[in-house]
Amino acid sequence: MTVPPPVLTATNIRKSFGDREVLAGISLEAREGEVISILGGSGSGKSTFLRCLNLLEVPDEGQIAIGDVQAPLARNRHGRLEVSDSRAAARLRTQTAMVFQGFNLWPHLTVLQNVMEAPLRVHRRDREEVLATARSLLERVGMASFHAAYPKRLSGGQQQRVAIARALATNPKLVLFDEPTSALDPERVREVLALMRSLAEEGRTMIVVTHEMAFARDVSSRVVHLMNGRVESSGPPAHMFGADASPAFRAFLSPAAL
Amino acid sequence: MEEHLTFIGSVTAQLVRAVPVTLLILAVSGVCATVLATGLTAMSVARSPLPRLIQRTWTFLFRGTPLILQIFMIYYGFAMVPWIRHGILWAAFRDPVFCTCLAMTCCCSAYIAEIFRGALAAVPRGEIEAGRACGMTGFMLLRRVIAPSLIRIALPSYSNEIIMMTKSTSLASTITVLDITGVAQQVIAHSYRTLDVFCAAAALYLLINATLSTLLTALERRLDVDRAPTPLAPIPPTLEPLS
Repeated sequence: MTVPPPVLTATNIRKSFGDREVLAGISLEAREGEVISILGGSGSGKSTFLRCLNLLEVPDEGQIAIGDVQAPLARNRHGRLEVSDSRAAARLRTQTAMVFQGFNLWPHLTVLQNVMEAPLRVHRRDREEVLATARSLLERVGMASFHAAYPKRLSGGQQQRVAIARALATNPKLVLFDEPTSALDPERVREVLALMRSLAEEGRTMIVVTHEMAFARDVSSRVVHLMNGRVESSGPPAHMFGADASPAFRAFLSPAAL
Repeated sequence: MEEHLTFIGSVTAQLVRAVPVTLLILAVSGVCATVLATGLTAMSVARSPLPRLIQRTWTFLFRGTPLILQIFMIYYGFAMVPWIRHGILWAAFRDPVFCTCLAMTCCCSAYIAEIFRGALAAVPRGEIEAGRACGMTGFMLLRRVIAPSLIRIALPSYSNEIIMMTKSTSLASTITVLDITGVAQQVIAHSYRTLDVFCAAAALYLLINATLSTLLTALERRLDVDRAPTPLAPIPPTLEPLS
């Protein structure tokens, strides 16, 4: 059995905001079909790390590759790392997609237009083909009957399901989820998690920053625990949620027990 | 009484003939100021400090001085500058309508740029990040994500500025332009019926502004997707209604 190729390789990612070091050297490799849950307390750097992966944040140190394409990061004359080729960075981002905590649908476009926007405008795919994909995605997330509605009219859960359809519309190699359920009430959390679980089951490569322990335990193939900007421990969920888990991660899971 | 109505009727007819002059000044300076303001807004968010400094200085100067002084400086002041007076530019600067349009373009662009700048800052970051995250850059991001939100945010204040501009066009009358106000003063000069004439002129400005504000409000409503009802319908097999 061959090991699937890496979809994402992040090496020694460091990032500081002012004097505060948020990421103190994190490396992560995601292979095709892997679902990686990134857990950690607030301020542990997990969202920042995720946002470095598609260059929404530029790391101070480190390398990122999607597939075998290196992210265009180079030092400027002050020695700071910056995006050296914004076109190449944009091309790299077209291989990924992101689902945000605050949904971030485009309010002036309908549900269907939101889903069709990137494949149509950025990837310049054929309109009929894009429409067919968008239709089947909206059906899949249960939002087909709302295709003509504007985002503001939808509930949070509905908006997030549309945002997931939008993320999948370009058929990305990697989907990044930045706390996708944190802005939802428990009822809506369930519908979004069920959808994410079905994506995981069809073999999507996903990196999920989340506080949903059940999702991390039951759905992900690997759990990464960040603490103070470092990978404190990582491994398959059976190990991480088992008896040999690191004390720090166990403490994180049940802070009240300490 | 009948003589009174006849007088107002004939004055109104004279004033109406001056409406195109007022509208011309408004249209030219409105369009030019908006284009210039767009450039100034871009400068205000430039990475290098020089464009930002130019935008701030422009706003400081043109927002901080009275429009009527700017009009006087351009019309009377530039006539004193030899290289303008005797150069090819004189053909433009001797024309009071041109001078009014130029002064209003400079002045109002400073205000409109501030409106656009505020609206740009108010475009939700998340919408822009969603655009960048799917690979949009530069012009596409501006056109497909930033501008639609920016226009919706800016429109109420922008409409207000256009209404203010309509009224400011009357300053052209101080440098001999025969716009609505200019003609009104001319009529008063030989009829001495001040109140009647100014009332008729005011009515025309009201009419212009009522029309403008109706149009701008209609545009605002048209762009306001939050008011749109939520249609529940299956996706049609083929699609036309995309933007």
